[in-house]
Amino acid sequence: MPPFDDWNIIDEEEDEELQDAAFFEGKRDVILFCIDCSESMHELRDDPNYDDVKTSHLFTALEAAMQIQKKKVIVGPNDSVGIVLFNTTRSSETKNHATEIKKNSFAYQPITIISAPAIQELIQLLDAAREDPDLLKSTFPPLTGKKMPMGDVFTSCNWVLRDGAPKTATKRVFLITDDDNPHPGSKQLVTSARTTLLDLTQSGVQIEPFFIATPEKPFEPSKFYSSVLLSNVLNDEDEDTGVLPESISITRIDDLLSQMRFHEVPKRALFSIPFQLADGFVISIKGYGLVTEQRKGIYKYFIDLGDHMEVANSRTVYVDEDQQAEVDKTEMVYGMALGTAPVEGASDDEGEGGDTVCRVVPTGKRPFYTADEIRSFRTLDLEPGIKLLGFKDPIELAFEDNVKHSVFIYPDESKYSGSKRTFAALLKKMIEKKKIGLVLALTRSNFAPVFCAMLPQAESTEEGGWNEPAGFHLIPLPFADDIRAAPLETAFRAPDELKDAARLWIDKLCVKDGTYPPDSHPNPALAYHNAQLQASAFREEFDPEAFEDLTRPKYDMIHKRAGNLMKEWKRALLTDESANVVPVTTGSKRKADVSVDEAEIRSKHEVGALAKLRVDQLKDFLKSKSQPVSGKKAELIERVSDWLDAH
Amino acid sequence: MPAERAGYTVTMFLIDVSPSMGTLRSVELPPAPNGEQRTTEMTNLEWALQFVKLKIQEMIFNGRKTDQCGVILFGSEETDNIIHEKNGGYQHVSEYIPIAQPNSTTLAKLDALQPSENSGDPIDALIVGIETQDIYLNKKRTWTRKIVIVTDGQSPMEIEDWEATVKKMNGLAISLTVIGVDFDDDEFPFHEEDKSTIKLENEAFYHKLTSALDDGLVGTCAFALQEIARPDMKQTKSALMGTVLRLGDIDVRPEEAIEILVKASKCTALARPKSWKKFGRREKTDDQMQVDEEEDTTVFAQLKMRSEYYIDRSTQDGEEQDKMDMGSDDEEDKDKNLEMVQKEQLIRGFKYGSTYAPCPDGQFPRLNTRKGIDICGFFHAKNFRRELAMGEVQYLWADPGAPQQQVALSSIVQAMYEKGVLAIARWVSKDGMDPKMGVLEARVDTNIDFLLWVQMPFADDVRKYTFASLENLVSKNGKSVTKHPYLPTEDQLEAMDKFIDSMDIMDSGEKDDEGKPVPWYDTRQSYNPAIHRTKQALFHSAVVNDIASNPLPPPHPELLKYINPPRWALKASKNAIRECKEVFKIKEVPKKAAKARKDGHVRASDEDEDMLLLDKKPAASHKGKEHASQVPASPKLARSAKKSVASDSETEEESDQEPLLLEKRPFNALPTPERSMSPDVDPGRAPGRIIGSTYPLRDFKTNLAQGDVVTKAVEDMGVVIKEVVLRPFASRRHKEMIECMIAMRDTSLKEDEIDAWNAFLRDLKESCLKEAGNSEFWQEVQKLGRSLSLISEPEAKKLGGHSEFSESASEAVS
Repeated sequence: MPPFDDWNIIDEEEDEELQDAAFFEGKRDVILFCIDCSESMHELRDDPNYDDVKTSHLFTALEAAMQIQKKKVIVGPNDSVGIVLFNTTRSSETKNHATEIKKNSFAYQPITIISAPAIQELIQLLDAAREDPDLLKSTFPPLTGKKMPMGDVFTSCNWVLRDGAPKTATKRVFLITDDDNPHPGSKQLVTSARTTLLDLTQSGVQIEPFFIATPEKPFEPSKFYSSVLLSNVLNDEDEDTGVLPESISITRIDDLLSQMRFHEVPKRALFSIPFQLADGFVISIKGYGLVTEQRKGIYKYFIDLGDHMEVANSRTVYVDEDQQAEVDKTEMVYGMALGTAPVEGASDDEGEGGDTVCRVVPTGKRPFYTADEIRSFRTLDLEPGIKLLGFKDPIELAFEDNVKHSVFIYPDESKYSGSKRTFAALLKKMIEKKKIGLVLALTRSNFAPVFCAMLPQAESTEEGGWNEPAGFHLIPLPFADDIRAAPLETAFRAPDELKDAARLWIDKLCVKDGTYPPDSHPNPALAYHNAQLQASAFREEFDPEAFEDLTRPKYDMIHKRAGNLMKEWKRALLTDESANVVPVTTGSKRKADVSVDEAEIRSKHEVGALAKLRVDQLKDFLKSKSQPVSGKKAELIERVSDWLDAH
Repeated sequence: MPAERAGYTVTMFLIDVSPSMGTLRSVELPPAPNGEQRTTEMTNLEWALQFVKLKIQEMIFNGRKTDQCGVILFGSEETDNIIHEKNGGYQHVSEYIPIAQPNSTTLAKLDALQPSENSGDPIDALIVGIETQDIYLNKKRTWTRKIVIVTDGQSPMEIEDWEATVKKMNGLAISLTVIGVDFDDDEFPFHEEDKSTIKLENEAFYHKLTSALDDGLVGTCAFALQEIARPDMKQTKSALMGTVLRLGDIDVRPEEAIEILVKASKCTALARPKSWKKFGRREKTDDQMQVDEEEDTTVFAQLKMRSEYYIDRSTQDGEEQDKMDMGSDDEEDKDKNLEMVQKEQLIRGFKYGSTYAPCPDGQFPRLNTRKGIDICGFFHAKNFRRELAMGEVQYLWADPGAPQQQVALSSIVQAMYEKGVLAIARWVSKDGMDPKMGVLEARVDTNIDFLLWVQMPFADDVRKYTFASLENLVSKNGKSVTKHPYLPTEDQLEAMDKFIDSMDIMDSGEKDDEGKPVPWYDTRQSYNPAIHRTKQALFHSAVVNDIASNPLPPPHPELLKYINPPRWALKASKNAIRECKEVFKIKEVPKKAAKARKDGHVRASDEDEDMLLLDKKPAASHKGKEHASQVPASPKLARSAKKSVASDSETEEESDQEPLLLEKRPFNALPTPERSMSPDVDPGRAPGRIIGSTYPLRDFKTNLAQGDVVTKAVEDMGVVIKEVVLRPFASRRHKEMIECMIAMRDTSLKEDEIDAWNAFLRDLKESCLKEAGNSEFWQEVQKLGRSLSLISEPEAKKLGGHSEFSESASEAVS
């Protein structure tokens, strides 16, 4: 789409329903990477990907931190990141830091909005460390012989966050360590760790631990962390279930990055509303957008202030153009477009004679609605919530009953106790009975009610530790207003032989037990855009050649497996009798037959005599090839010859 | 019947303005918010004109140049029509609005209509209408002709030669609709009492007239007004967009690669409610006052949108966002630093964190792509994850003009259908456009084979949030938990089982053509309430002058038919629902103040609202403290808890107001209400208790108000009172505890918890009189005598309970 300024302007009223993703964009996210720098983290190992290259846990952790920053900066340009290292003797003599942090921890990157120079600095460090594996050890010398108390680590995190993080942001600490028992035998240190962690949690910070396990040294959370983390990590969800927090990731170092990816975006609910199973039988649920189109960022306007560029914010105002008066939102009323301004009676009805359309009514009368009334028309005065209408067979949800992405719902005990067991029972029984639900959903107070199919999803564990969560998917169903009738009703059918010929190559190209794999299709257009954005920010040259589009079909594989069968099918198609059928034209107002056959056009093209054809002949030809028919004759000729050259 | 061509229509409205149309009638209005019935008075003319205006509004709404109308009055003072000019006669018929595309003035003119002093003949008007329309359409023979008569049927008519008129109308293929005020209609049903003879005859004539016509209809006005609000779908015919379906590499291996010319068209397209235009009330300026002197009017002007750009000089990069978040507090402050800038001065670019990446075009060069749909592979339909489908659905047809392409696509579709597979495909809508990934489903219809496309997510579009397992709960020592309030029991599962069966809506009782039961709810009959209600409201505001005195009628019943479960299902599930309510014991958790947070950040959902499970298992001891602190017993406690960590603007205000409370703290370490400012000092409520020791009386009352936890409340109250009384330095709370006891005794008496009270009282006495007890408190209790004594049998009896103690025994104990 060409850039068009008005697309940047969100008209709240009309786009309210479009915003479900944009709704969060105002929220900022802060991540503090808190990385263990002890000797075991520094220990050099063989790189799993490259021969003769040494790596260490610390290196991988820093690299993951860098990758996450690169990703985050594009998704949320206002997000902040910081890196704190602990168990290192490097001291924070840093002058620009407001407060001293605890000994043996080092704020490598204080919390700031992610910037190109900061990422580049980290990249340079990593590149240098790849050349010289001992560099990290000398830059961040490990604390030998003892460990820094974890309580102090958390305190440092707290201070760093306090200094750098904006108040309104979501704050998280990604704790990366391979030591499952930093303080063997010291009860006091465990207690202090728990207390300081509590402080951290109470200031609104979440801890997301990433524990590194190796075959030689498995990570046992029960040794130390389960007693320290338990009450805090769960902050998000179930405070006192007495069960293990789900967000502890114990991972092999190679999976660190992918594990972090899961946590890259903080989990935020789109809505938290009641779910009415029947009158007086209500539970509470939360909704999450698990599938949402990720778009390119929107460009902003900047102004050059000489020394730096400043973002210009835009504001939309509504004005009465004739009077040049801005009207306040609260004063606005809503009504019907008045149609085109009457031509002849203009002078009677419009005092100013301008082009603003006005409606004159006797004083005290109001033929317009207020914003609240408008909302009630849209919501039918329903309160936000989900209402169960009944149960159906899955077959009732057709492929074409789709208009937008689904949302995922999960129970929430905080409003109605007993929600979880009820939800779990409903889910279990629906899966058992192979039923889907039909619900009426009004997810936010400004939205319109919509019917949804409610698909149960059973819990399942996949390889790589990723779980399909238990819950329901709500699939918005189209209304009668959204459904378009099929414009065609008849066409020629293939005989069975041809179908069988097609079946042969379809068999070859069918992935056994396969499905549509979203993970193997990163959005190429988005990646291409982001790569250029990054190059521009890093002031580097962008190389389009180096870009690989992973969504392109695997041509080699297709031809290798089915090439010959496809050729066979094509041959069969050509010999099919329908190839020679002339379509029966209906309708009486057919123009005289102007069509010139392809062979003739091709011969004209070869002798460079396309210009002899008439415009309607050129257009007919192009139309038959599904090419655009716009433009002047010269353009048409060019398009025809392009097509002939290409085919 | 071939679909009616939209537009290309001239509608003549023939409106009766005879004196009888001025009769006042009382029109029912939608009930007021308080449920009170309301009516308003208006003339028959005003009422019937609503129909005309709604029809014309629809034309304005659709905005077609070829949808035109004219208005002819009969019964008007003056006579002004083409036949009269030529031949005379046809008195009191005048052409009020010449045929044209209607606009807001058309409606304004209709508003100005008043009943006249004369009566006019509808048949005269009809003939004038036919003639006027015919002359206008002289050169436009193919246009559709419609005539609408609006009348109360009270005026005399000259009905001779009516057959000639019918002949003429049928010859011109004119459709006639007669909208009659208070005409009888058996089906609606409506019947007017005391109908005048003339009206009776006229009605009969209209029926005779319309049935003689090829296309004629009589309707009563009330029914017409209701039907005009019926959801009416705007049929949109999707354009067929040409593209190519490809398989394989057509550049390198053209002899093997497949190309099929196809057309795409929309199968579903999200329709949105019509947008509202914004209006502002115009303040009167001085010179306007003079102009408008004679009439007292208000002008509403349609507003236009304008964008302004400004920069914030006060802050550095990034901070501006923060400021915005703070809301209106420092609005003034902010405005001072804002500086308007001209759009011309601005440069486009992207933010890369705090770094600025210029991009003057507003976008970087696009990925080089080629138009067409590339098939990447196939997979079995049973593995399709329906919930991943992202957007609107498209049809994919073989080129309707190329039989060979049709055969080619048909063979693939049939083969896919037979094998039960879907194709993975990559769609580029135009050269250079961003590709989309999706799946293609094969459809074999009666006479045509085609594909359906739906977009699927890219890796970037899928969020992998983690959720706790609903079934497998693991205790902190790694053991699997099988019994927990979160896990449904067998009983509960069984109740749910019945509930699901009883709410099955696969069989609505109706049968389809083949005799198979039809499920309840059909997408093709579910109208989007927002669209149709908004449209109804839009139209209403355009045709009435004041929505306060003439509010919008209720939505058409058709719009609401799926809003609630079908009645038969509700009836069938009554018992199952009752059982579910009993076994699941869902309780609404009372709203609590938000937990203390150092920052003001509130997440989108209230994740910080904690839950309270009444039947919760006792938590592990080390968690007790933590746990209790999460359930602040009262808003006040929560607020004070917040204070203890107050460090930012969010709570500043409060800490300013009550600094004394904070300062008091060091002097006293007692668990008094004022003192438990920090959850760490005294959380006030032990795990599993519903009454805290901090504000026992309030908790007690809150719980009672909720009902059905009385026993628990009384029991906990007793425990808390005893606990508080036996603590050191309890004297400062004696008075409060006495109050608690009064409340508790009162409740015990009324709610039949007499035994609990009596047991508590004896226990309390014993404890108080022990060595480390609180005999002082007991003396105070005794002083109050009977009002805090054991509950005796006579006293209990009065309220229908009973007690093991006699009157004298009660007196003795206290």
